[in-house]
Amino acid sequence: MKRLWWVIGIIGLVVVGLVVGRPLWARDAAPPAASLEALPPAGSGEGFARATEPNAIAFPRDLGPHDDYQTEWWYYTGNLQTADGRPFGFQFTIFRRALTPEDVLSADLADSADLRGSSESAQSAQSADQSSSWRTEQVYLAHFTISDIAADAFYPAERFSRGAAGLAGATAEPYRVWLEDWSVEQVAPGQVRLRAQTGDVATGNVALDLLLTETRPPVLHGDGGLSQKGPERGNASYYYSLIGQRAAGTVAVGGERFDVTGLAWKDHEWSTSALSEGAVGWDWVSLQMDDGGALMLFEIRSGAGDDGRGGSQTRPYNAGTYVAPDGTLTHLTQGDWTLEVTDTWTSPTSGGEYPAGWRISVPSVGLELRGRPQMANQELNVSTVYWEGAVAFEGTRDGAPVSAEGYIELTGYAGSMAGRL
Amino acid sequence: MMVSIDLANGSARRAFALSTDAITGKATHRVAGGPTGLDEAVYRDIRVAAGFSPAAPVVEGYVGVPELSGQPLRLVGIDPFAEPPFRDYFAPAAGGANGGSLDASALTTFLTEPNSLIISADAAAEAGIALGDTLTVNVAGREIAARVVGLLRPADDVSRRALGGIVFTDIASAQEMLDLRGRLSHIDLIADDEAALAPIAALLPPDASIETAAARQNAVQQMTAAFEFNLSALSLLALVVGMFLIYNTVTFSVIQRRPLFAVLRMLGATGGQLFALILGEAVLLALLGSLLGLGLGVLLGRGVVGLITQTINDFWFAVNVQGVSVPPSSLIRGLAVGVGAALLAAIVPAIEAARTAPQSTLRRSTLESRIRRLLPWLVVAWAALTLAGAALLWLRGGGLFTAFAGLFAVLIAAALLAPPLTDVFMRLVAPLTGRLLGALGRLAPRDIIRSLSRTSIAVAALMTAVSVIVGVSIMVGSFRGTVIEWLDQTLQADIYVSPPNVTANRVIGALAADAVATARTWPGVARAVSSHTVQVQLPQFGRLVQLVAVDGDVSNGNRPYAWVRPDLGDDPWPALMAGEGVIISEALALKENLPTPPPDITLPTAGGPRDFPVLAVFYDYSSDQGSVFIGDATYRTLWDDARVSAVGLFVEPGQPVDEVTAALAARFAGRSDVLVQSNEALRRGSLEIFDRTFAITSALRLLAIIVAFIGVLSALLSLQLERARELGTLRATGMTRRQLWGLTLLETGLMGATAGLMALPVGYALAWILVYVINVRSFGWTLTMDLRPEYFIQALLVAVGAALLAGVYPSIRVGNMEIASAIREE
Repeated sequence: MKRLWWVIGIIGLVVVGLVVGRPLWARDAAPPAASLEALPPAGSGEGFARATEPNAIAFPRDLGPHDDYQTEWWYYTGNLQTADGRPFGFQFTIFRRALTPEDVLSADLADSADLRGSSESAQSAQSADQSSSWRTEQVYLAHFTISDIAADAFYPAERFSRGAAGLAGATAEPYRVWLEDWSVEQVAPGQVRLRAQTGDVATGNVALDLLLTETRPPVLHGDGGLSQKGPERGNASYYYSLIGQRAAGTVAVGGERFDVTGLAWKDHEWSTSALSEGAVGWDWVSLQMDDGGALMLFEIRSGAGDDGRGGSQTRPYNAGTYVAPDGTLTHLTQGDWTLEVTDTWTSPTSGGEYPAGWRISVPSVGLELRGRPQMANQELNVSTVYWEGAVAFEGTRDGAPVSAEGYIELTGYAGSMAGRL
Repeated sequence: MMVSIDLANGSARRAFALSTDAITGKATHRVAGGPTGLDEAVYRDIRVAAGFSPAAPVVEGYVGVPELSGQPLRLVGIDPFAEPPFRDYFAPAAGGANGGSLDASALTTFLTEPNSLIISADAAAEAGIALGDTLTVNVAGREIAARVVGLLRPADDVSRRALGGIVFTDIASAQEMLDLRGRLSHIDLIADDEAALAPIAALLPPDASIETAAARQNAVQQMTAAFEFNLSALSLLALVVGMFLIYNTVTFSVIQRRPLFAVLRMLGATGGQLFALILGEAVLLALLGSLLGLGLGVLLGRGVVGLITQTINDFWFAVNVQGVSVPPSSLIRGLAVGVGAALLAAIVPAIEAARTAPQSTLRRSTLESRIRRLLPWLVVAWAALTLAGAALLWLRGGGLFTAFAGLFAVLIAAALLAPPLTDVFMRLVAPLTGRLLGALGRLAPRDIIRSLSRTSIAVAALMTAVSVIVGVSIMVGSFRGTVIEWLDQTLQADIYVSPPNVTANRVIGALAADAVATARTWPGVARAVSSHTVQVQLPQFGRLVQLVAVDGDVSNGNRPYAWVRPDLGDDPWPALMAGEGVIISEALALKENLPTPPPDITLPTAGGPRDFPVLAVFYDYSSDQGSVFIGDATYRTLWDDARVSAVGLFVEPGQPVDEVTAALAARFAGRSDVLVQSNEALRRGSLEIFDRTFAITSALRLLAIIVAFIGVLSALLSLQLERARELGTLRATGMTRRQLWGLTLLETGLMGATAGLMALPVGYALAWILVYVINVRSFGWTLTMDLRPEYFIQALLVAVGAALLAGVYPSIRVGNMEIASAIREE
């Protein structure tokens, strides 16, 4: 959910990115904050619905889109390996962003459809109720990465589309979220097929085709799925996860296709929220342990005096969830854990200095973990620059050894990102 | 003049190419559909099912935006998300401090606010439009308010020019504004090779096809090729006249300096040196003249480009020319042609000067005696060249180029005939003028014969110019007559209901369904005939033609046919209505050299290509690209298109046509998307377009006259000045100033008359070639030659008048000359 803030940022930048048609970091002359502020609804969220009610999430209805909220994403990450143990990681995310609230749009349409508006003009009525199927205020953005850990190769890709004309969208029943030929769709109850591929000449064909099978009930974060992001009412998101999904399928990279199995994690979050003053980015951690436990943490980092390493100035709305092997949820708040950075890595591309080693301690559930990225360079240099990669941890729970794999997301470390947020 | 036509043609062509490039962007291929475009699901399938990324949907059409331009503009609907690989207008200007020409909020508005436009900043500035202004977009008469939400500032000049004729809007708005919901005009693709497109080809519906981006542009540009070629050929005529002038001038300068050359020769200058000297002079002068001509040409081009653009817009496609571009290639070409022509014209006198022996160089009579010896050969050359020209014209299947080559051969041959004919004519006329005017009357023709080398050139130049005038006048007159008759025969319905056209001669858009229903059932209307015109590309020929779906004959059976299938008698309509085949226009048959009877025509239906037998070939002067009539029911079934672009109404006998028309017009009053026209108004409108089209021809004709006049003037002037001594002698022996005037004017008048008389048959021949060869090959139109005496009388008057006028100044000069100094010269 920490992603909330920066996704607002990302999607704001989507529009800029598609205009520019090339990565934003090249335009360091432009003050990026201006681009964000220029998106009228960004930050204000006026006219959109807000997340206010605990225990409001219902399935399967809430698998689908929530167009009256400004921002939404379906976020899949997972750690995979071949039968002989060759590891891979993947991220597959589809973001939705509403540019304007729905009702504002239809009012506009009726207003300006026809100049003449004479009583007999059939067209006027016609154009209002027969609007083009391309007409939409929903923009979709997708990120897809494969981490080929053995080859130390990272394949990021990004796509944009309007959420119309069948090009991109989401439905709850049957569950399907897609952006062009990147899609995740239900193939059987509790089972989805996730497919994405890029035909990029530079990287060769990179493809992912997985069946994900649910094994555990959804985890509702925060207060029954209401995840507070700030002190104001409505500055919150609805946030649930589907953890422990068994993944099986194929990964294709570098002209080779591998049969893989593993564990995947899905986040689904929607909201209309403003970014807190002074925040520069956030860290998000998702770990699935070999004893059946799971941990989610997010920390929002403030700008001033923060070197990005210590998490020294965390904010009161940082939060987390520990899922015990038996499914018991423990909601974690500020002070329930410490997240210490033990190493860093500097991106040769963006120059950003990212954490690259952690010690996590959650005394209330007896968890002590140390871990590292499975490979250093898992930075996405797309319309927004951030690090999102496969990680591996070792440690103990209540004194018994555990190991964990998962994904960590680090935003706001590249120089330009800090300026934006 | 050549430069101006070249520039104007070039500007129009470039404007079109630029705007096409602007739209095509980096696309290598496109998916094109039938007359109604493509189902938008095709694009979804390409993206979602085939996962093909470098694809961009385009919805485009022509609209009027009065606040922005008087010319039609291209409204282009795009999906900004698919744009970056294709068109970079939305990219920031290189090096721009704040990034792009558009900020994110502009694009957000562009996406979310219906009918928001992005236009070129230059065009906006020119029209005084600011960001946020609301413009009126006129789509086939419907007026839609649209707001400017972004201004494009392309970094380079070329894009800036290209964008002048384009208005961008979001694809959703474009579908709504152009009433193309659910349809795409085409889909742009980028692919390295055809193999990459195989997955796309597999999922296309039968009426869609993949073509290369260049192919489409060629097909469209091909349409105006004949028109542009005709204009270029006309401008070449001016050059031919010009060459006579140059020949004349160089000869004059050579003759005048004979003594000097003789001295040079005696001092040891070789013939080669003299040759080089004269050519060198000619080149220098030609260079100066051509440079001057380039300047004038550029100025003139600015004027002419408007005329050409208008015609292209009327007949073929919308093109928005933003001023005249002056590419160096055009200038270099003009310069080369100018200097080349001058060299060619100067070569004969230069050879003469080089060849003559030193002592004979002193005498002018050698030149005159040589031309006397040449006379029979000139007749032979005339005959040979004329035969060659005729052969070129007869050449079956010969293109436009050979036709024009034939035309020029005939014209130049006629010019060669000028000296012998002048000689003969003067001999014939001498006794007559002698009897009428006494000594002067005998003197004048003899003078002309004596200076045949000079006078005949002037006669030839004048004759060429006048015959061009005659030929073009007859051609235009015949054309007009034919079109009027054709309109009378074809337009039989009393009232026509259509959307107002953005451009004059092409029906754009469709009539609102309720208007069609109202018109059909209007009281007093006996019968209604509807038609729907769409543009399709014939796979057989790659040609873009008009496909017209008709449910009745608007000519009421009066339409003339070039050919009807014998078993149908003389009315192919019952068979057409029964869906047995199609009727094609003469232009299509001629342009594709179809045999008689014509083979089946393949049409791209929604279900794939399909062959239709040809029932008849009809005369049609509305399209030079070809038209195909198809039965309404057949079209509706095979193309799944219910639109109607025009309705013709026949009023019940006994009903007052004017009143029914007025009542119907009143019913649609206030509706800008419906135009009710009486038969007469439509006919008048058509002729207006016709006259506008030939405005450029008139302009060219006028220029030819001016050039010829200047030529005659300078020839006569030099002639008279050269004769100063002779005239001085005459004056000394008692000729009055009045008599001198009489002599000069008589001489010029005789020359003018000779030219005028010669121009009559030559002009007729030119007209014949223009009407029966050039027009048929350029446009596929058979015209009825319409000869009127006034064309010939006019030509004769122009010739004599120009010659007399040209005689005035030399008369004044010579008249005022001091007798003593005139004689003293030697």
